Amino acid sequence: MNRRTIELVVIGVLVTGTLFAESRREYHFNVGANSRISVNNPYGSISVKPSSGSSVVVIALLHSDKVEVDNAQTGSHLEIQSHLLSGADPESGRVDYEIMVPADASVTLHSSTGPLHAEKLHGDMTLEGAGAAVDIRDVNNAHIHVKTLNGPVTLTNIQNGHVEVDSLSGEVTLEQVTGPVVQVISTSGRINYIGDFGSSGEYRLTSHSGDIEATVPDSTSADVLARSVRGEVHDDIPLQPKTHTWVNLQQGRAFMGTMGHAAVSSTVVLRSFSGKIHLRKRSAK
Amino acid sequence: MTCVELQKSLAEIDNGSSIEQQAHLRTCPACLALVTELNLIATSASELRDADEPSPRVWNSIEIALRREGLIHAPRPSRSLIPSFGSSWTWARWLAPAAALTLVAVGIYVRQQAPVSQVARNTAPLAPVTEPADMTVAGLNDDDLLQEVAQQAPEIKAAYEADLRRVNAYIVDAKGVVAADPNDEEARRSLLEAYQEKAMLFELAMDRSLP
Repeated sequence: MNRRTIELVVIGVLVTGTLFAESRREYHFNVGANSRISVNNPYGSISVKPSSGSSVVVIALLHSDKVEVDNAQTGSHLEIQSHLLSGADPESGRVDYEIMVPADASVTLHSSTGPLHAEKLHGDMTLEGAGAAVDIRDVNNAHIHVKTLNGPVTLTNIQNGHVEVDSLSGEVTLEQVTGPVVQVISTSGRINYIGDFGSSGEYRLTSHSGDIEATVPDSTSADVLARSVRGEVHDDIPLQPKTHTWVNLQQGRAFMGTMGHAAVSSTVVLRSFSGKIHLRKRSAK
Repeated sequence: MTCVELQKSLAEIDNGSSIEQQAHLRTCPACLALVTELNLIATSASELRDADEPSPRVWNSIEIALRREGLIHAPRPSRSLIPSFGSSWTWARWLAPAAALTLVAVGIYVRQQAPVSQVARNTAPLAPVTEPADMTVAGLNDDDLLQEVAQQAPEIKAAYEADLRRVNAYIVDAKGVVAADPNDEEARRSLLEAYQEKAMLFELAMDRSLP
């Protein structure tokens, strides 16, 4: 047996071993109206998309035999759990999920490592994970709760949402996110808002040391208050000043005023302790 | 019987004594450890109850305050599998919610002083704001958290230390702003949010994030 043959045999063994170590499982469930889907996956990704009708399809890629997938269905409530077996670590305990759920299902996803992804749903959703990157897009009429420690959070095209994001140090980006309540709290992560602040919502972006930047189009109507205790505030957009202000507007540390038509405006509060706050106009393309 | 089925069955027979439970426990060390711990907690709890448990009125008041603030809602059964009981987080799992609850309650307490101060502004000299209680009141402090993280996942201890430093700085700054202007509702809100951030850190670190 020559050297080339030995190499091929070794490669074949390694590839075969890898294929056996990873296994794909597929599960099908039928759930009724107003279903609730919970997925707890210590290590690995979870991606959720809409299915047709009332079916739930779970495709799980298990990275070793040190983890298994448990499921339990009680009526319209389905729970999926990655069950770590003895000796599992972040690599061998990893499971990657692709899940299709009814578009109106309430979804709870948890993974320490993530990433977590949900799209085109209109049920309430809760996504949590210490280091998980969170990406939610194309969601209407839903409550969205996100908690991360250092994973970045990206919300895109969320309409009429009740949005609450808590992130300790991850960067938070909201693009075209509107609704009656949009709240972001961050300790040190940067917060970016790109959009028009809707028509009548309450938008609160708060950070301790992270910068806050809001980029809005000309058509925006909003009452804006921006304050930074020790950081700078910058306002590229002329605001109509308020005739009566209840806060002490220290020059360079705060501004307050109205953009557009106040009669149909949202309330926007941008607050930081040491981060910079920048309200800028979206440049015309 | 699977692990999930066993955990559900403990709601009916909590000491693991049924035939099906016993059969599963003979083959599953993780569930056996869980049942052993639950039995130990049940035994210890009855001894602790008389000495340490606050009156039900205290818990009731905290719950009412949290509901009024919209910070808690009716229990959602979807959490029954989360966190998994099969892991090695034992006592810390029970302390984490208590710590988080206490941190949030302290924040709410501070915030709830606002209307009182608002009235006081027009009628009498301002009274100093009561300092929030120390964060070790729930029996769980930063050192406890880091110790547990170091035991369970030493590779991420440094990250949690950094997170703790950041969130503690947030609380200190927020307290400072409230102290400077006790009537500033936004400042009080910031302090509440700072406590919420710390509560989230404890919650994710101890209740969810680690296997």
